[in-house]
Amino acid sequence: MKLLSTSLLLLSISFSAVAEENKSAKAWLERLSSSLRTLNFSTSFVVIKNNQAQPYHWFHGIDENGAELEIISSLNGPRRDILRIGDVVSYIEPESPPYSVSSKQVSGPIPAILSGDIEQLESGYDFISVGRSRILGRPAQLIRIEAKNSYRYAYWLWLDQKSGMLLKLSIVTKKGQQLEQIQFTHLDVTNQLSETLLKLPSTELPVIIDIPQEYQQQKLQWQVNWLPKGFKQVNSNRHKISLTKQPVEFMSFSDGLVDISIYVNGTKEQQRAADYVMDGATLVLNQVNKGIEVSVVGKIPSQTAKAIADSITIKSPKAP
Amino acid sequence: MSENKFETVSSCVDNFQHNESTFDDIINDEHLSATWDRYHLIGDVIRNDTPDVFQLDLSAEIASAIANEPTILAPKTSNVFALKFKAKIVELAKPFGQLAIAASAAGLMVLGVQTNVAQNNETVLPSQIVQTIPMVGTAQPVSLNFQQPDRASQKQAFIEQQRRFYALLSDHHQQIKLGSFAVNVVDKTKENTETDSKKVNEHNK
Repeated sequence: MKLLSTSLLLLSISFSAVAEENKSAKAWLERLSSSLRTLNFSTSFVVIKNNQAQPYHWFHGIDENGAELEIISSLNGPRRDILRIGDVVSYIEPESPPYSVSSKQVSGPIPAILSGDIEQLESGYDFISVGRSRILGRPAQLIRIEAKNSYRYAYWLWLDQKSGMLLKLSIVTKKGQQLEQIQFTHLDVTNQLSETLLKLPSTELPVIIDIPQEYQQQKLQWQVNWLPKGFKQVNSNRHKISLTKQPVEFMSFSDGLVDISIYVNGTKEQQRAADYVMDGATLVLNQVNKGIEVSVVGKIPSQTAKAIADSITIKSPKAP
Repeated sequence: MSENKFETVSSCVDNFQHNESTFDDIINDEHLSATWDRYHLIGDVIRNDTPDVFQLDLSAEIASAIANEPTILAPKTSNVFALKFKAKIVELAKPFGQLAIAASAAGLMVLGVQTNVAQNNETVLPSQIVQTIPMVGTAQPVSLNFQQPDRASQKQAFIEQQRRFYALLSDHHQQIKLGSFAVNVVDKTKENTETDSKKVNEHNK
């Protein structure tokens, strides 16, 4: 009896220790989110994928009105800049004319959720505090965001113990293979706005695109019957793919951290086996089944993408 | 003219002839030097020396194919996005040549092939296509000509597929950017939507 109660006690201690650990992992992520939103910082980082390193500058700060200012620019190759003043985010990229959207989310190399509401991730992911190491010459805490099921990749984050800032991020497969890494190479946290950001408010941003809500919520004649648990539909629309002019029907899904795009269109081919390409962690799957071309894009393993693509069924056609 | 000259090229390739002036002839004659290249290529294929070379070749070809593609810089946009942008952020947004896009596309493409090698071996790879050409025994230019149309069409299909992948990838990124906007719209009052669609219609005119 005594033994039992002792072991129970021990068990409860170890359980609470685990809970404590996880709570602290969550606290670390919340601290990161708040640091990314409130600090004035200028950093450089490289995105390492496909055996290539792409360098970026990233400036962030708060102006006197409390609005967030942000610039993320890619430094090699064609110019890709993201500018943000408060709730207006502008994208300058070679594929299209510059445009702005009204959003608080910046869709850049760093997952937007990290500066957002971390709690959104709790249903689909476990937060695990792993240990300490040294990154960018600073003591860092390693936090893992592990998917609760095996259909997604894990995200490993190294956070600065002093500022709570992100120092390194890896997207890792179940087997521990690193697909994509973001390594910070420089970090300055300052009291004042940096010179570059001071100039930003005087810049005239491109016109904000207005997209009517109905456009993003169109009813399509097909459905996705399987997705990993935790994914919710974001949009469904019809548009043309800009580079190929191919008209497609489109649905997008998100679990907060990972975005999945699904494209469906008719094609002249009858049958083509699934073909994959990977850009870092981002997988593109393309296959043709019975004259219907299906493509799945997102940071998911190929098995997941294949299962999603195979689960798509066409609803019986109705009169328009 | 040429039977003889081709034979000379052939023997040069095989190291049977070491006459400086013959080499000069080959170098100076465009036709012959192309033949010289081709014979070496054939040799490489037979010795299985080729894969890297072919991938590099291909990437250049993809890049030029895309550079010649007129659609790329045409501002895409389905009707809804047909909006005019102010070009006043000049300092921050300068237009880029097609070349830059083509180059980045080519970067992904070559990579796609390499990843495919690692991931599933069944995909048709350019190196495999080359190696399956039955070229045992005498390698006559004629037999090579027989294979060429087939190889070209496979290569074309491959380029087509790579373009598709790149287009999907870039559309995915764009949809995320536009999509995050739509999610936020939900929070706003729904009255806005009607005026929004009016605006879009005006832009479409």
